[in-house]
Amino acid sequence: MKTWLKVLIIIAVIGIIAAFGVFKYINKPNKDIEKAKAEFTFKADNLYKKYNDNKAKADSLYNEKVIEINGNLSKIDSPSDTLVVAVFTQTLEAPQPQSDDLLGDLNAEGGLRCTMLLKYCDETKKITPNSPVKIKGLCKGMSGTDLIFEKCSIVK
Amino acid sequence: MKNVLRFAILILMLSSSAFAQKYITKNGKIDFYSDAPMEKIEGKNNQVKAALDASKGDIVFQVLITSFEFKQALMQEHFNENYMESPKFPNSTFKGKINNLKDINFSKNGKYNAVVEGDLTIHGTTKKVKQSGTIEVKDGKIIAFCKFNLAVKDYNINIPSAVAGKIAEQVQVTVDATMDLKNN
Repeated sequence: MKTWLKVLIIIAVIGIIAAFGVFKYINKPNKDIEKAKAEFTFKADNLYKKYNDNKAKADSLYNEKVIEINGNLSKIDSPSDTLVVAVFTQTLEAPQPQSDDLLGDLNAEGGLRCTMLLKYCDETKKITPNSPVKIKGLCKGMSGTDLIFEKCSIVK
Repeated sequence: MKNVLRFAILILMLSSSAFAQKYITKNGKIDFYSDAPMEKIEGKNNQVKAALDASKGDIVFQVLITSFEFKQALMQEHFNENYMESPKFPNSTFKGKINNLKDINFSKNGKYNAVVEGDLTIHGTTKKVKQSGTIEVKDGKIIAFCKFNLAVKDYNINIPSAVAGKIAEQVQVTVDATMDLKNN
């Protein structure tokens, strides 16, 4: 085989591999949080306290990390069949808001709010409030007085 | 006389609590969509906080930027790190008022047009906005709905020159929040 043909084939192969790599990189799927191993395990109130004591530090340590939370589930918000949020309500140390401040009203109570994966919605709705549960999810950080988790599953 | 005074105070308290009707949710939805040659971007957020004071017409929204979900991980990374700088500006808020409050009957089921005006803060930049939407009263719940376009440059969101023109400058935002009466 002629040398120029060999070079051309090598360049073409490298090109195809590179294009495939770029395609895979651009279209990489979101991390499978259900299967991912939890990087941290916390009692719900301990993790909440860490964010309240030093938010900047907690943001850098725990945001976007897979965390397993355990504690007594306070309530379940299920505005629709496909959206179920498991809530660990926490006692707030901050003063209560002024009554005319709507943002204050929104944050008058706080806690860990875990959006469940679709396949866990039905199972979550059956949990009796105040019973102990273990929930694993992706920690997103604080929204006002709430610590938000996404893609959550129940740990057996 | 004392009884009359007590009765009057009780009536005053009851009437003020009846008027101070606040509706609240922590599970509102905001979706956004932008269509451009390079990237079709779609993000969804189901943990939007919203509150409405039916007596004054005050309405607020608060949303955690990092909880927008995308189909592709890379898009989510770019959105948070390059465009929205989420670690620096984690929340967006809207604080405003319903201009035509008298047109809305909060005690009667129905869908009412609403004009909302207020301050929208995104990416640390606050702008006055005025948008039309609907307020639906449905069996004691309030459903606030609004669809509008937003120019990313208004909020100092920088699109790198290499990809400018390939990413839409306007983003379509849909807000849909079902609020329950707040128990005082």
